[in-house]
Amino acid sequence: MADLVRMAAIGKRYGGVQACHEVDFVLGAGEVHALLGENGAGKSTLMKILSGDVTEYAGSIAINGTPVRFSGPTDAQAAGIAMIHQELDLVPGLSVADNIFLGRELRTTLRTVDRRRMEREARELLDRSGVSLDPRRPVGELRVGEQQLVTIAKAISLDARVLIMDEPTSALTSSEVERLFDVIRELRSSGVGIVYISHRMEEIAKVADRATVLRNGKIVTSFDPRKLSTAEVVQAMVGRPVQTMFTTPDTDTGDELLRVENLSLKARRPRPGRRDPDGISLTVRSGEIVGLAGLLGAGRTELLETLYGVAPGGTRTGRVLLQGKPIRPRGPRQALAHGIGFVPEDRRASGLVLFHSILANTVVSSLPSYGRLGVIARRMERTASVRMADRLRLKFGRLQDEVGTLSGGNQQKVVFGRMLLTEPKLLLLDEPTRGVDVGAKAEIYRLLGELAAQGLGVLLASSELPELVGVCDRVVVLRDGRDVASFSTADSGEGDLLAAAMGQGEVFEEAFDGSGGAQ
Amino acid sequence: MTDVQDKIPDGTVGAATPVAQSSGGVAATLFRFQSVFGLIAVFVAAIIFSPRKNGEILFVSADNLANVVRAVSEIGIIAVGMTFVILIGGIDLSVGAVLGLAAVGSAVLMVENDWGFLPSVVLVLAIGLVFGALQGVATAMIGIQSFIVTLAGLQIARGLARIWSGGQGVAIAYGDGPKEAPTSFALLGERTFGGLVPIPVIIFAVVAIAAVVFLRVSAFSRHLYAVGGNEKAARLSGVPVVRVKIAVFAICGLLASLAGIVHAVQLNQGSPNDGIGYELDAIAAVVIGGTSLAGGRGSVAGTVAGALLLGVLNNILALNNIDSNIQLLIKGLVIVAAAALQRLRPTS
Repeated sequence: MADLVRMAAIGKRYGGVQACHEVDFVLGAGEVHALLGENGAGKSTLMKILSGDVTEYAGSIAINGTPVRFSGPTDAQAAGIAMIHQELDLVPGLSVADNIFLGRELRTTLRTVDRRRMEREARELLDRSGVSLDPRRPVGELRVGEQQLVTIAKAISLDARVLIMDEPTSALTSSEVERLFDVIRELRSSGVGIVYISHRMEEIAKVADRATVLRNGKIVTSFDPRKLSTAEVVQAMVGRPVQTMFTTPDTDTGDELLRVENLSLKARRPRPGRRDPDGISLTVRSGEIVGLAGLLGAGRTELLETLYGVAPGGTRTGRVLLQGKPIRPRGPRQALAHGIGFVPEDRRASGLVLFHSILANTVVSSLPSYGRLGVIARRMERTASVRMADRLRLKFGRLQDEVGTLSGGNQQKVVFGRMLLTEPKLLLLDEPTRGVDVGAKAEIYRLLGELAAQGLGVLLASSELPELVGVCDRVVVLRDGRDVASFSTADSGEGDLLAAAMGQGEVFEEAFDGSGGAQ
Repeated sequence: MTDVQDKIPDGTVGAATPVAQSSGGVAATLFRFQSVFGLIAVFVAAIIFSPRKNGEILFVSADNLANVVRAVSEIGIIAVGMTFVILIGGIDLSVGAVLGLAAVGSAVLMVENDWGFLPSVVLVLAIGLVFGALQGVATAMIGIQSFIVTLAGLQIARGLARIWSGGQGVAIAYGDGPKEAPTSFALLGERTFGGLVPIPVIIFAVVAIAAVVFLRVSAFSRHLYAVGGNEKAARLSGVPVVRVKIAVFAICGLLASLAGIVHAVQLNQGSPNDGIGYELDAIAAVVIGGTSLAGGRGSVAGTVAGALLLGVLNNILALNNIDSNIQLLIKGLVIVAAAALQRLRPTS
C-alpha cells in the first residue's frame, strides 16, 4: 500500500502536558487504521494536527509523499482530509440537508440556493449510509445518534481521501453501527484511508486492518487487531495489567440513608424526550452503591435531577427521606446542604468552566469553608485542592492550569473532587465514566469503593451493564419512569437487568444505546 | 508526563514545574496586562505629541494630569460596575440614564426640597442600588436577557429623570438659604492634597481599589466568575446564581448613581440629559481592559487601565486641537485594536 499519510516525529505540548511526543504515524490508501489509547493519550491531538485544527506542532506531515503544513481545517479539507469530530459540529436550527452542504451550498443557475437538489443529494448520501432520515428535518430535533450519522454523511460527501472518525459510534445503536461498518468497508475498497478512533475493542477487531496504541503521547505498539486479545490491548493502553477492573466493595452496608417513596413529578411544561419519575420507590443504605439501570429515556437522569432539586418545575408527589427526615431540596444549594452531591452527565456543558483553573473548578462548591466572613483564605483552598488532587490521583501540571487542558478522565475527577469537598453523605452520579478512558475508569471505580467503605451512599445511573453489575451492590431498573425491578448483583447478571429494562416484546439492539461496556 | 504524575504523592504538586511555567508564560503575562501596556504606550505617545509651552511639556503638567484623571473618574466609576456585569456574561445599558437620574435626584433633593447632604446622597445611592437590583431580578428570575432588560431600564431611568426634574436641568447653587444646596456637597468637587488631587479622582480610586480587593479575596467573586464562565455548571455546583446576578446588577446601579452624584457636583447642576452615551464609553473601557464580553474572564485593574487609556487619548487629542469628529474615529480604531489583540490571546 502506498503511504497516503505519513506523519513523522510529531510533537505537541499543552501547558505542562506533553500531548504528543515524537509520534510517527502512517496511513495507507484503502486502510482502516484504528487508534487506541486512554483519554489524554494523544489520539485526538494527533488527529487534530492532521486535520488542520491544531497548526502549531513539531514534526512533519506528508500526503502522498508531498510535505504539507496546513494553516487550518479548510486547508486540510482542500487536501482531502475530513474529520468527524467527537463533538458534533452541526447547526441545530438548520435542516439535515443544509448542514451537510453548509458552506458549499448547491446553487441554481440564478445563484440562489438549490434546495431541491440539496435535499435530493442529501437523501442519496443518507441512503448510502443506510439511514432513513428526512433531509428537511432540523438537526436539533434528531437524536444524538442520528446527528452522528448526519456528520458521517457530511464527511463522506466531501469525497475525502482521508477520513478521520473520532468515536463515531458512541451514540449509535448496534444496527446503526453495522450499517456504518458497511459504509466504511465500501470507502476502504474505493481507496480511502480511514483513521478510526474508538474505545471499543470489539468494533476495532471487526473493522480495522491495523491498530496503533498511544500512551502518554507516545506510540506504544502497533498490531493486527484480529490477533491480539482485549486483555493484551488494554494492558498496552494502560501500561500495566488490568486484573480486576471492578473492585466490588464488600463493605458492610449500614443504616438506611435515602428512602424514596412513590416519587412522582408532573412537570408544569412537559418536554419531549423527558421521562419524569412516575411512582419510583427505592432505598440506599450508607456504604451501599446502588445502580440505576434502564434504557435511554427510562428516566434515570430525571430521577437524579429530581433528588438534587434541579428538575423543571411541577407538582411533586411521594416522599424523599434522608436519614429518616423528609427533604425536598429546591435547588443544588439545598441539596448540598442536606449532604447530597451530584456529578452530572455532561461534564463539559454542565460540570466545568473549562477556561478556569483546576483550583477554581475544584473548590467552587465548598468556598465558604475556606476562610471567614466571605473572605477566602487562599492557603486553605489550595491545601484542600491539593489534597483532593492527591486523593483522586489527578494527572496535571499546575493547579492554575485551565481545566480544559486536562484529559476527559481527569476533568471528570475534578468534578468528583468538587463534590467530595462538600463532604456529602449521598452521591448522585449520572454516567460518571462516559467518555472516560479505561485507566481513569478503574480509578473512579476504586474511588467509589473507598467512599462506600467510608459510609457514603452512592446512586449510580449508567448505561453500561458491566459497570452496573461490577460496581454496584444492588441495581434498580427503571422503565418508563417507574422502578420495575431490583437485583442484588451477587446473584444476578447483565442479562437479568437487560430483560427487566426492556420489559416484553422490545427490540434487543435498541437497548442501552449500543454502548459497549467496559473491558 | 510521568514525572508530573509522580509528583502528586509527595504533595509537591503546588510547586510549579519550571517547564510548565516558562511555556507561554511571557505571552500570557503580556496579554493579561495588555491594557496596562496599552496605557503606557498611549502615555508615552502623549508625551511625544504633547504641545510645549516655554519648553514645558503641557501633557505632563500636574494640572493637566489631574484634569485627565478627573475627566475619567465618572466613566471609570461606571466602568467598574460594568466590569462586574460583563464578568457574569451580562451587559448594563442603563448606567448612563441612571447617572442622569442620580444627578437630577441630587439637585432636586438638595435645591428644591432643601434636603441635607447626607440624606440626599444616601437616597440617591439607594435609588441606583434598587434600580440595578430590579434589573437583576428581571434578568435572573424572569430570565430576560440583560441587554433587553437594561435597554428598557435605560428608557425608564431617563423617563424618571425627566419627570423628576420637570424636563429641565436643575442648577445647583450653594449656601444656607432656601433653594440652595449645602456647601458640604460642593466639597465633593474640590481638590485636596494641596489643591492637587480632585475629590472625584479619590472617589474613583477608592471604588477601583475596593473592587480589585473584593474580586481578589471574596468568595462571592469566585461565584461571580463561575456564573460568567458556565452558568449551568455554576448552578449545579451550588453557586447561588440568582443572588449573584441580582447583587451584581445592584452594584452596577449603585456605582452609576455614585457617578451621577460626582457628575452633578462637577457641573453644578443635574440635568435629565446627563450621561447620554456613557454606557458605551464604559463598555469601551471594559473591552479595552481585556474583559471578555462572553463572561467569566477579565479584571477591574484592566478596566481602570482601559478607562485611563481613553482619558489620556481624549486629552492629548484635545490638547492638539484635533477636530472632535476625528477624535471619535481614533477612539473607534483604538477599541477595535484592543479587541483584535484579545483574539490573539493564547487559549486552550
